This record gives sequence, structure tokens and C-alpha cells, in this order.
Amino acid sequence: MSETVAFMMGEFRAEFPVDRLYADNHMWALPTEGVVRFGFTAYAVRLLQDVYFLDWAFDAPRDVTRRQEIGSIESKKAESALFSPIAGTLLRFNERLMKDPSAINVDKYDQGWLLEIAGSTDELMSPEQYVTHLDKAWEKTQRTIKGQMNE
Amino acid sequence: MAKRTSVVISQSPSQNPARRALEEDIVTALLMEPGIDVTIIPSLYDLTADSTGMLALQGVNGSMVMVTWLFPRAAHWILDRNQIRGHFGTTLMAAAEDTDDEDDDDEEESAEAEAKPRVIDERPLPDRSIYCLDMRATNRAADFIAEIKRIHLENNVQIVSIAGLNGQSKPVPSVAPPVPETSNGQGSNGAELPQANGSAQVQRIEDTGARRWYPVIDYSRCTNCMECIDFCLFGVYGTDRLDTILVEQPDNCRKGCPACSRVCPENAIIFPQHKTPAIAGSPEIGASLKIDLSELFGAPDQGKSAVEVAALERDEQLQLAGRNAVGMSVGIRPRESNGATSNGQVHESSAAKTSAVKDELDALMDQVDHLDL
Repeated sequence: MSETVAFMMGEFRAEFPVDRLYADNHMWALPTEGVVRFGFTAYAVRLLQDVYFLDWAFDAPRDVTRRQEIGSIESKKAESALFSPIAGTLLRFNERLMKDPSAINVDKYDQGWLLEIAGSTDELMSPEQYVTHLDKAWEKTQRTIKGQMNE
Repeated sequence: MAKRTSVVISQSPSQNPARRALEEDIVTALLMEPGIDVTIIPSLYDLTADSTGMLALQGVNGSMVMVTWLFPRAAHWILDRNQIRGHFGTTLMAAAEDTDDEDDDDEEESAEAEAKPRVIDERPLPDRSIYCLDMRATNRAADFIAEIKRIHLENNVQIVSIAGLNGQSKPVPSVAPPVPETSNGQGSNGAELPQANGSAQVQRIEDTGARRWYPVIDYSRCTNCMECIDFCLFGVYGTDRLDTILVEQPDNCRKGCPACSRVCPENAIIFPQHKTPAIAGSPEIGASLKIDLSELFGAPDQGKSAVEVAALERDEQLQLAGRNAVGMSVGIRPRESNGATSNGQVHESSAAKTSAVKDELDALMDQVDHLDL
């Protein structure tokens, strides 16, 4: 991982490699020969913190629509449903994460990849566009977290 | 001689270190308790009928305390389906978890529940209780130990009084520590720590199987109405010789699909791993202590009735299986005007009522998802 762009989440500097694309649900996308590999961005991992458990809703391969629910994740601080970043055929999940999801934390941009989809990258963003997207979404992110913590 | 109590710890499939720690803390503390046998199994829900773990549980004769990461209802009825039957033991821990709101709901439900015959009414249960404790209730092992000791005492007191009433005619069942078959060579059993006489025997059964997904029927709610067997088009459900509904082919079930539980008029169908507490087996609101990031990670808006959602979920699974979608045209019955559970025919006028009842918990979850942003 060489060059990056960054976004400041409060004090935390989230870095994004410029060698790939980004989805608005905070996944990076690395296209190779028609297959796009996805993983969590530093932004997502910062929100999640230590990942304890990852569960997929079905067995790959399978066709998915964009934003289709595909699984769930549990971490030290949070839990979330997971959604497909693009439409296409979900070819496989990273099996290595099933027993031990810690690679999501220690090597999010490489060994911690989540899944591979054969599909179009047209709707994905450049690193710069993703940072702009984060700028706009940061307020909402803070409110989501703080709103729930006050309950 | 005092009756021994079997305590079974069902491990979490998650690697969450806090969960592992609580499991081990409970086991360690139980080692000091006289009259207790401990069995540690992989996640109860994932055990197949012929697994080492399930066979070990079937070998337990007396009262059992099942300590899991599942809602007690889910654990109880998973055991029941595997011929591990008993009365639903009342735990004081579960009661402590109820809030006022939930109590109100429970009262309404039970008042209605008494009006209809339930499958459980026809079934004689063995003279023992199965107590299911949810490890999500508290993170203090000591609370579980206290409750287990209370249950152990309660059992022994009960036995004495029964024996007294029957003039000692009933032999006190002795609990032989189950010896599992370790055909796969991965099982292990035996004491792990030096023990004093009469203190716990510990048996560990290792994880061997894959994660599973299938429905569990709560027969204390089920009225044998057959809506689930009509709705499910994957042959999961069947009937026994007495024409009672049962989950006949659990592994025909489609992973992630909870559609039949949404159409069940009595909310009797549990998917223990579903994220919605009402579907996972809780009558209570399983308020999570964790932040739900789903909306940030791309959750779309919802706004459909339970049956509409169920029909969509079923269509999705049908298409994945190479079959045709059927929408709302198959296996969905118009319901009587029983507003409490009617979610079959959704009219404009009843839509609010419908979703207010069935989706009460879903709605609360949604509120969390859609905090005023």
C-alpha cells in the first residue's frame, strides 16, 4: 500500500489507498479481470473496532442486487447488517475470516478482504470522491452513534 | 442421596473473547460446586440430531440447566425437538430481565394464549425440568452460579417432597455422566481439574459441525394451524403420526430466510440466529448494548407488512433454487378478524394495527435504525 488519501474522523486519520475504488457503504473495491474484491475501509474499521464475528446470509456463489442484505457483523463496539456494494454475482466470501475475523482489523486492505463480486464498477467512487462522500456523511455518522449511545 | 444436576454450557459460535471468558468463568466456578456435572458443547443450535453433543445431552436423565447464548425459548425447543424433554424450568434470572412494558405484553399474550389449545397440552412431559439460562442476561459468572445453585437446591427439595408423598415409591433417578461416542476422534471428556469427592465432573465436546439454519417450533404457542407447512415451499415441515406439525427436514431450510416465522399467527416459529429478537425467540425486547451501524453500512428503508416481507423472502429463495416466484398467491391464508396476529390480508385500515402488533419489535429496531437524522 503506497499512496493514500485521508479523512479525519475526529482525531483519527483514516487512510485510503489510491490504487482502488470505493463504495458508499464504506467498502474498498479492487477490480481484477471482471472480478471485484471488496473489503472494509479504514473508516468502517474505525467505527467497528475489534471484529468478533462475521456471518454471511447465504452460501456463494449467488446473484445479488445492490444494497441487498448479505450478512452481519459483530464487533467490540457495534453490530451491523451488511449489504452488497454493487449488483452482480457474489462469487465467494473470504473463508479465512470465518474462524478468525481479526484480519479485518490487522490487514484490512489486503488479507482482511471480505468478498468478491463479478459485476460492474460503474457506481463506485474514486478515492477523492469517497473522501468527499465522507465529508458529507460525517455529521450523520456522529449523530447515529451518539444518538444510540444516549439511549 | 442428593440428586445431581447437569449443567450444559453451549458455546458461542462467535470468537468474542468476552463470551469465551464468561463461559470459562462459569465452568471454573462450577467445578467447586458439589452435586453438579458440567458438559461443554458447541453451539446447541448447530448440533445435528446424531452429533456427539446431542447424544450426550440425550443421556442426561435428571434435571438440566442449559446455559446458552440463545433465548431460553429457543434453547428449550431445540432440545425438545431432539427428544430432550422436560418442563420449562422457571429461572429467576429471566424474570429479572423483564421491564414493565414487556410484562404488559406478556400478560396480554398469555391471556389470549389460554383461549386456544396448544400442541403442548397434548403432550405428556417427563417429570423433570429443563432450565435455560441466557448468558446475555449478565456478564457476571457469579450470577449464573448463584442461579444454578438455587436450581440445584430446588430440584433436591422437590425430589424429597415427591418421594415423601409417594411413600418413597419413586426411585430417585441417578444422573450418570454421559459418555459420548467420539467417533471423529475429536471429542474428549473427563475431569480437567483435580476434584473433591462429589464435586463437578466436566466433559468437553469439541466443535465438529458447520453452522446451521432452520426453524424451531415453540409448542407452547403452536396451535397446529398448518400455516407454516402451507407457506414453506421447500419441504421443511411435515407432520408426525398424530398429524402434529414438526420440522421434518431442517436442512432443507434456506439460510437466512425467516419467512415462515413471519406468517405464523402465534409467533411460534423461532430462528435462533435471526437478528430480530422476536424471531430469535424472545417475547422481550432484546435491547442490544451495541451500536447498530446498519444504516451507515447501507440498510435500505423498509415499510412492508410481515407477510409481504415473508412473500418476498420466499420468492427470493425460490428463484435462487431455480423455481418461479409465487408472490402472495400460494400458501397465504386470509385470516379471521383476530387483530392480534392478523397479518395475512393487509388492508389499508388494518395495516397500522397489523404492523403495530406483529412488528412491534421490528418497529422498535427500526426506530433505532432511523434515529432522527
